[in-house]
Amino acid sequence: MFTIGKLAGQTGVSNDTLRYYEQERLAKPAAKSPGGYRLYDKDSTRRIHFIKHAQSCGFTLAEIRELLALRGRDKACCGDVRTRAIEKKLQIESKIRAMKAMSRALDQLITDCADEKQPVKECVIIAALERANLSTPAQ
Amino acid sequence: MKIEMFFTPGCSACVTQHDKLLATAQTAIKGVEWHDINVLDNVDRAADLGVLTLPSIVIDGEVVFTSMPTVAQLRKALIERARGRA
Repeated sequence: MFTIGKLAGQTGVSNDTLRYYEQERLAKPAAKSPGGYRLYDKDSTRRIHFIKHAQSCGFTLAEIRELLALRGRDKACCGDVRTRAIEKKLQIESKIRAMKAMSRALDQLITDCADEKQPVKECVIIAALERANLSTPAQ
Repeated sequence: MKIEMFFTPGCSACVTQHDKLLATAQTAIKGVEWHDINVLDNVDRAADLGVLTLPSIVIDGEVVFTSMPTVAQLRKALIERARGRA
């Protein structure tokens, strides 16, 4: 058993983040010391590494909670996890498309604003963004 | 009418429901086109249509079900669409 500081050192995650994971029901201490300090074990380290790897693949903490629950469910199979991975890939592909569309819109604005020395009041980009704002329906 | 069912191989829910849903579609709509689409082979098509969860059912290019529908839900959706077209 070891303290939160040691777990933080082993995993590269701050003490605050580990406490946040506990609050979010992602990783709780294995035990508490007589003095009330959080104590962790090797399984805690594995769990934190799991969370970090899943985050690097784009999974949110809520989704990671589901993955961890699947990991511990006897009836679950690899296909269940795979479906979640494929869904995450679809979400990422969708975001990439949206960001590419943003990039193309910016390209157009940058091209339209050819005269860098024009006063800001006559800036084509500002004008275009204001027009876009006018055409956006009120929320 | 064109129906595309996006699925992942190994999806047990898809296998269980597939034949029932296909039969329902064929009974409800004459000449319906049904396509089973393995999302892994068609990621671009899925992204184009806005498929984000699996299984999903797309009808005439619109994502209508983002999880497996019941037979009754599919029949209702198809009949309403057919009426809308008439």
